[in-house]
Amino acid sequence: MTSDTIMIPFYQALTEDVNALAAPQDSLQELRRSALQRFSATGLPTLKTEAWRFTNIQRFLKEYPYELTSTPATTTAAVANEASIPGLDAYRIVLVNGHLQADLSSIPEGKGIRIGAMSASTDAPGFAKWFNQHAQVNGEPLADLNTALFGDGLFIELQANVSIDKPIHLVHVYTSDRHAFIQPRHLWVLQRGAAATVIESTVHPKQEAVAFSNSVTEVVVADNAELWHYNVQQGAENFRQVNTTAAQQERDSRYHHFNITLPNTPFTRNNLSVVLHGSNTETNLKGIYLATGNQHVDNYTFMNHLVPNCNSNEHYKGVLLDNANAVFTGRIHVHQEAQKTNAFQQNNNILIGDKATINSQPQLEIYADDVKCSHGFTAGQFSDDALFYLRARAIGEEAAKALLVNAFTHDVTDEIAVPALQDYIQGQIEAIMNN
Amino acid sequence: MNSNEIIDDIANKEYEFGFTTDIEMDIAPPGLNEDIIRFISAKKNEPEWLLEWRLKGFQAFKKLKFPTWQHFDLPEMDLQALSYYAAPKKKKQLNSLDEVDPELLATFEKLGIPLNEQKALTGVAVDAVFDSVSVATTFKGKLKEMGVIFCSFGEAVQEYPDLVKKYLGTVVPHSDNIFAALNSAVFSDGSFVYIPKGVRCPMELSTYFRINAQNTGQFERTLIVADDNSYVSYLEGCTAPMRDENQLHAAVVEIVALENAEVKYSTVQNWYPGDKDGKGGIYNFVTKRGICKGANSKISWTQVETGSAITWKYPSVILQGDYSEGEFYSVAVVRNRQIADTGTKIHHIGKGTKSRIISKGISAGHGDNSYRGLVSVGPRAENARNFTQCDSLLIGNQCGSHTFPYIESRNKSAMIEHEATTSKIGEDQIFYLNARGIDTEKAVALIVNGYVKEVLNQLPMEFAVEAQKLLSITLEGSVG
Repeated sequence: MTSDTIMIPFYQALTEDVNALAAPQDSLQELRRSALQRFSATGLPTLKTEAWRFTNIQRFLKEYPYELTSTPATTTAAVANEASIPGLDAYRIVLVNGHLQADLSSIPEGKGIRIGAMSASTDAPGFAKWFNQHAQVNGEPLADLNTALFGDGLFIELQANVSIDKPIHLVHVYTSDRHAFIQPRHLWVLQRGAAATVIESTVHPKQEAVAFSNSVTEVVVADNAELWHYNVQQGAENFRQVNTTAAQQERDSRYHHFNITLPNTPFTRNNLSVVLHGSNTETNLKGIYLATGNQHVDNYTFMNHLVPNCNSNEHYKGVLLDNANAVFTGRIHVHQEAQKTNAFQQNNNILIGDKATINSQPQLEIYADDVKCSHGFTAGQFSDDALFYLRARAIGEEAAKALLVNAFTHDVTDEIAVPALQDYIQGQIEAIMNN
Repeated sequence: MNSNEIIDDIANKEYEFGFTTDIEMDIAPPGLNEDIIRFISAKKNEPEWLLEWRLKGFQAFKKLKFPTWQHFDLPEMDLQALSYYAAPKKKKQLNSLDEVDPELLATFEKLGIPLNEQKALTGVAVDAVFDSVSVATTFKGKLKEMGVIFCSFGEAVQEYPDLVKKYLGTVVPHSDNIFAALNSAVFSDGSFVYIPKGVRCPMELSTYFRINAQNTGQFERTLIVADDNSYVSYLEGCTAPMRDENQLHAAVVEIVALENAEVKYSTVQNWYPGDKDGKGGIYNFVTKRGICKGANSKISWTQVETGSAITWKYPSVILQGDYSEGEFYSVAVVRNRQIADTGTKIHHIGKGTKSRIISKGISAGHGDNSYRGLVSVGPRAENARNFTQCDSLLIGNQCGSHTFPYIESRNKSAMIEHEATTSKIGEDQIFYLNARGIDTEKAVALIVNGYVKEVLNQLPMEFAVEAQKLLSITLEGSVG
């Protein structure tokens, strides 16, 4: 993968002549070209695109004259340390704009473990088999754009029955001296019986330039494998993001995805899709979005039940302060063959800010009869009784509200299986509420 | 009979109310253009402003496109091949039921809606709309005493033009959607109801629609206005004869509730659903919307949808007045190749507004049932409250059941709850009832009856019976 910078204002190039964005020259040329063609045929989503009804991505792309860059950048240990989670014992891997920075990373090694830059992993068997195979990547405009133009990312492949002794802490650093539109691309493959925990954090060095990340992560969890995947989105004013995570699960596998969106990033869109190819699987999709200011947070999730006897559980909790605007879409599709499916989904919201808004679309699409599926949605505010109870016990209003928000998000934070991370997230929520 | 046989039996059951009536028709040539609209308007002796309004609707229709967001393939429709006016030839002015065409009366009799009996026994005033033109209206005198206006739309245009002009198109504008625009341009007749201030309408008002002549879409327009402190319950029930060619039904219903007024609108719909391969059947594309204009007003929609090849409608309520209330209760049953894409839209605009949505879907055979709903809370709607429950029951593994709710809240004090479940009838429930000597068929009927009870309870007595009869066809032996 070569490095180059395209000096055309990005949005203009996207709308005028998409082919001007010549894809990087590498062995994936053919794949990139067809993705670019698909993208130019569909174009950027508009408010008329059903999946983007409440999120005007064009507005956010037009905000700054972004440049398309895949130039490797580097960062310092001090910057990477900003993402450290107290008490967390993990392998830290630092990616700067998607490019692996080896000197700051401790990469787990051993038999059957292959972890490295995507650009150095195109020969891996897992890469050939799984790269860009997910239907939710092929055809989704922003994911297609990523396929066409991606720079680099992290490749993980664990052979059968290999597990990593400690979590991997993946630190994404986004830095650029010009407004940049960055396309990181990751592929994680867990072969039969493998197990891993990946914690993603983001760091944004203080700078004038704004980074817009359009990342794609493909996840494969093979037979009886298990992946715990935490995505902690610590925001920054100079950051915007579209994250596409496309997972597929084989027989008896477990995939646990946690998506925690914290304040400051003005625009966040998370596309999360899980497709079930093997039966007896377990899928947990948990999310918290705690938004302040004029933040716009859009979570789009898609559970695709193709086969029988699978269980999925989805629970997203939102706390919206100030003028924050949140969107939640939860699609559950149960195909005709997928009998004995249990699919549950819940989306709860507390609106605290006077101008806070929530748009929610929980959707069930069911073609099998022997299933149990449900979804629930609530929007409300603090219960006066609960507040009064706490205040009667000499807890100040702010502290009482922080306590209640912590209790509200507890359903999700309680499920975090890494104690240090759990403490950290709870601490962050409390700190934000006390501010 | 084992459960599969029962399911097959029910899934293949022929439409019971399929028959046609021969009545001389006065039919306009097929096609849709300004001349036809002028012809309809002239035929009905309408004032100039109404013709203008129809033409505006036609202009809007020409600009609008067929929607693509629905969860089914919209069949191709040649709207130019339809004839837009059909009326039974008027023989003379009718004064009593005896003068009504006996064949028409016989048709109603077959449907179990004998006008005479209803008049005598149930105290329901019936405005029978037979292919667009109202032929018999009963209890008019009694209603007139109280100041209630209940007449055909055409009559209202002649006799109460000011009222019609004031409210027509205020809830469903002429350019609302392509089918509403089409209706505005060519609507044939319908019903008009006005309840004056402080009047509680003493009886249930009802109309029965039948689609009869081949190639005639029916385009009714209903306008209900409830003035301050009034109350009315309005019933609409439908059955249609068997036809091979698809028929379009694009009606518009507008309801205006002023201060403290309450309007209850109930529908039982059992139009021809097509045969077991999905051939024929009615397209029921109706725009129904009510507005709670005044404070403390209330509009309640109840619907039982068992017929039509495609049912596509979203009875909606705009809660504009403070503390106004909207309700939507629905049972939708699909089997064979039937499609239902139905639900409601509730717009909370005024403060303290409340809404409640209960939707029960039942899918059998190859049926496809979707609930699509919108609950939106505007920034001014302080303390708005919504509760939504939509449940689906699946019978057989070839059917589909979907829910697409949209929830939009722009006010932090709003409390919104939504829950949806999908499941089949539990084998343990059947077993429990079997163990108590209740056979499977009855057990299923019992369970499903319990399942939809919340909605049927909302129907007026006369309708509840009819609705239960309609449902039982699908209910028997529905063991999944």
